[in-house]
Amino acid sequence: MTLASLDEHAPRRTLWRLPVRDTWLVRIALVIVVLLAIAAIAAPLVAPYDPNAVELTRRLQGPSLAHWLGTDHLGRDELTRLIYGTRVSLGSVALCIVLIMTLAIAVGGASGYLGGRVDQAVMRFCDIFLAFPTIVLALFLIGILGTGMGNVVIAIALSHFAWYARMVRGLVLSFRQRDFVLAARAAGAGRVRIFFEHLFPAIMAQMIVLATLDIGHMMLHVAGLSFLGLGVQTPTAEWGVMINDARQFVWSNPMLIVWPGLALLLSVMAFNILGDAVRDRLDPSLHGDHQH
Amino acid sequence: MAGFIIRRLLLLIPILLGVSILMFVIIRMAPGDPAVAYLKLSNIPPTPSAVAEARHTLGLDRPILSQYASWIGNAVKGDFGVSHVTRRPVIDDIMHFLPATLQLAGVALLFTLVVSVPLGIWSARYKDRWPDHLVRGFAFVGVSTPSFWLGFLLVLLFSLTLKWLPPMGKGGWQHMIMPVLAVSFMSLAINARLLRASMLETASARHVLYARLRGLSDRRVERSHILRNAMLPIVTATGMHVGELLGGTLVIESVFGWPGIGRYAVTAIYSRDFPVIQCFTLFLVTIFVLCNLVVDILYAWLDPRIRLNAEAAL
Amino acid sequence: MRGVLVGALLGIAATIAPASGVVAQTLNFSWPANVGPLNPHAYAPSQMFAQGMVYESLVKYQPDGTVAPWLAASWTTSEDGRTYTFKLRDDVTFSNGETFDAAAVVANLETVMANRKSHDWLELISQFHSVKALADFTVELQLKDPYYPLLQELALVRPVRFLAPSQLPASGNTEEGVKAPIGTGPWKLVETRLGEYDVFERNDSYWGQKPAYEKIVVKVIADSNTRAVALETGDIDLIYGDEGPITPDTFARLKAQGYQGEISPPLGTQAIALNTNKAPTNDLAVRQAINHAIDKDTLISTIYHGTQTRADTLFAPTAPYSDVGLKPYGFDAALAASLLDKAGWTLAPGADFRAKDGQPLQIDLAYIGTDAVMKSVAEVLQADLAKVGIEARLLGEEANAFYARQTDGNFGMIFGNTWGAPYDPHAFVSSMRVPAHADYQAQLGLPDKAKIDAEIGQALTSTDETKRQELYTDILTRLHDEAVYLPLTYSTAMLVARDNVGNLTFGATSFDYPFADLKPKD
Repeated sequence: MTLASLDEHAPRRTLWRLPVRDTWLVRIALVIVVLLAIAAIAAPLVAPYDPNAVELTRRLQGPSLAHWLGTDHLGRDELTRLIYGTRVSLGSVALCIVLIMTLAIAVGGASGYLGGRVDQAVMRFCDIFLAFPTIVLALFLIGILGTGMGNVVIAIALSHFAWYARMVRGLVLSFRQRDFVLAARAAGAGRVRIFFEHLFPAIMAQMIVLATLDIGHMMLHVAGLSFLGLGVQTPTAEWGVMINDARQFVWSNPMLIVWPGLALLLSVMAFNILGDAVRDRLDPSLHGDHQH
Repeated sequence: MAGFIIRRLLLLIPILLGVSILMFVIIRMAPGDPAVAYLKLSNIPPTPSAVAEARHTLGLDRPILSQYASWIGNAVKGDFGVSHVTRRPVIDDIMHFLPATLQLAGVALLFTLVVSVPLGIWSARYKDRWPDHLVRGFAFVGVSTPSFWLGFLLVLLFSLTLKWLPPMGKGGWQHMIMPVLAVSFMSLAINARLLRASMLETASARHVLYARLRGLSDRRVERSHILRNAMLPIVTATGMHVGELLGGTLVIESVFGWPGIGRYAVTAIYSRDFPVIQCFTLFLVTIFVLCNLVVDILYAWLDPRIRLNAEAAL
Repeated sequence: MRGVLVGALLGIAATIAPASGVVAQTLNFSWPANVGPLNPHAYAPSQMFAQGMVYESLVKYQPDGTVAPWLAASWTTSEDGRTYTFKLRDDVTFSNGETFDAAAVVANLETVMANRKSHDWLELISQFHSVKALADFTVELQLKDPYYPLLQELALVRPVRFLAPSQLPASGNTEEGVKAPIGTGPWKLVETRLGEYDVFERNDSYWGQKPAYEKIVVKVIADSNTRAVALETGDIDLIYGDEGPITPDTFARLKAQGYQGEISPPLGTQAIALNTNKAPTNDLAVRQAINHAIDKDTLISTIYHGTQTRADTLFAPTAPYSDVGLKPYGFDAALAASLLDKAGWTLAPGADFRAKDGQPLQIDLAYIGTDAVMKSVAEVLQADLAKVGIEARLLGEEANAFYARQTDGNFGMIFGNTWGAPYDPHAFVSSMRVPAHADYQAQLGLPDKAKIDAEIGQALTSTDETKRQELYTDILTRLHDEAVYLPLTYSTAMLVARDNVGNLTFGATSFDYPFADLKPKD
């Protein structure tokens, strides 16, 4: 089965490429990503308030010295909730990536190593997953498993892992033919050792490149599904949910909808820039279209 | 060409069968008994006897293979069962809500192509000058913007502040402007960026250099030599946009109150209405796969090499 | 290019600007869903407000609590209170021209009686013994027991209104559906577009006062926020309803912008049922603590913008038989905490929430996830309860799943409403005996549940006014002392209209929509 168009992922990865010479952009992106990480890890220390402290008497206030970004419909501090929101966004995406990598190495590795019928079967299995648009697969899985952040993570991982599995399989196949692997095997090295010494680092390098390029995309999916009310449960602060909560105050407090979206936009952008940079650094072979 | 198309169509059958089997297996593996879910939606207390009765009604007490066979058999005839919530045949509901979604996604796809191609050409023509920077900057922001959030920003601007456009619902063409913009923004950005890169690449290709040496004008070279070849990646990308646009439409419908299948599906998900979820998924996957098929065919038509290779591979 | 763009924009502006100068004969309204098949004897997905537009009852409920003649011009009651004889109006036709007569009443009531199980929430139907036509326009209704709320319940929107007999299915059983929704009411349904709108036209052969509007278009708008915007852009002219057609925030904002906005007198009670049959709310101390932990006044002045008033008891003291001198559970977080301490629910050092014998004080609070106001209230309750060490887990679900929880009792706390006039208190307490109701499920853990149910039955059929009051007093006191409910607010209906709608009024109950009284104006 060679549905050429199902290989769509390959072009996507190179689409938002920025010229790497714009290093100031990469630096800014790096700063943003580091700030996000700090915000996520040290939220209780950095955030000025308790994210779930409802204080009805000061609800829907505009920006002030006490509340830099104002308060939401329950009087909770908007900035605090934005900061706590990074935990969900980054945490869920990190979980997705770990899941994807595990699945991809298991499935793709088995396929590449065992070859033959198993390989055929596994690749057909991956084709099935690739036939789903991401959101549709996610909606289906959440529909069956029920709503909640855990299921959102599973859904996103399952809708992405097939690309990674294919890549792992490709790497394994090409490695099996390489001279040094053949030599190592001739010298009596076991499969496991060859795998961990030679193959694993290469697979990880490639996967990290792909994953960094996908982080932004996954963040958007997480937020989108949460926006539909399928993700986190209240009172957990999450950007997609905050956008959904703010929609009924679009007239009176439009900034409530602007802030979480802006946070999402900036984070996704920073990860996209960084993804490009990492790819250029680690994987010059993907430079196909980079001729200008 | 006809043989190519037929072979491709036949290849869809195993894919769709695989998708349906996968869905079936996941539903059976999932926690929670569909019979209990069914009883809850029917306002019947799930006593053991009621559950047993429901399992029988729903055919859950039969061997899984026979369940699958009868489900797929009915599905082929267009019978996807009855929604546990609305009590209407699922297929009726789906056919009712699907056209609005397809309309929105289709217009968005058209809009993506119509706008991104000139943008890409413009950007490539003025490489490293301000139009190029502008388009690339736009492409970069576009790729990172959450579509549902963009939808709200558009409502803020065009409905609430300027009062130019209706904020919600389905009606005249005015109702489509903002949803289409929000849905297609990302694909548009990707496409423009892709066409630019592809044009620049083709522009440095040998046959283009020869054409220039033959003294053809820049515009002429651009039109007859660069663009046609540069369109190939666009065609590929379009296949992927169909998925993105469909998915994006499902989310955006909830922003603009668009009476499409996305909101219907979300409601079904909330109430765990399995027949609806199954049918919805199968339909969208089919549409997605069919669109990719069309793209493949287009691609093969534009570039005979692909067709020949593919036929050789079969 | 630029010219074209400007032209296009002007075009948009022109098409959006509302037409002025002509008095619109069409009222644009909105509802979260299509009105449904409008089977007068069935429930969801038929929408009650629309059933009320198309079908009429024998008698009509008045704002003062009495009932007035309607399709029945007069009636008499037998000595023993078991036989009612109705003299029907002889000038009424269905909107398709059929005569409304005794045969029509019998055909309708018989199919309702045949499907008693579907209506077991309503005691009236169980009390029906038989119905027969004595003459062309005379009907006799036999009851099993003397049932005092009979007339009130005959005024209900469903299931005792009348479909044209020709529209009954072949079997005569409306459980199978109806051919077309033909009633005697001032409106007739002429078009339905799924997911988009329903259109009603004035019934020009209506026997009573004909409505001023010719046509009502009911647009499907699920989201309350979108509904408000639709009013502002002129897509709809009227927002009306008792179940939060728009949020109180939006109501306040629209009123500030100069739209006509009204709040009805209190209708029913918004009360949260506490499940006595499920840990940890099976502990009386926990239920009492919950009642003391909630700061209702702040909730009302902020989230509700004062559009509702505080409720301290399940039924407002103004409801019949309900002024029984119950002592409110006041807001007192310290008292709540000490009640919990005494009952053994203690706070370990450093912990946020209490526990007892290793069991955490954790309660599921179910609400409808798509209802923005209910969600806000749930979040406030969660925060208030957290302050006394109770962990409320919010379960925001789609409406159907939510109602399923009410039915099967799978909740710790769940939102609910009493039904308001003319149901409160008799029909509401009556339904407490039906397993498919949240109230039954919530009360299941009470040691005296059987006694309460028995007393409800006696109160409904007692012919002695003093005895009936005594029974109600006992029932309401038991429920209050056992803290089965957390009454929050007395709910109201709200109405917002554009300037082109005049003669704004509220219906006598929350189920009567006053479309026929509204008048267009410039």
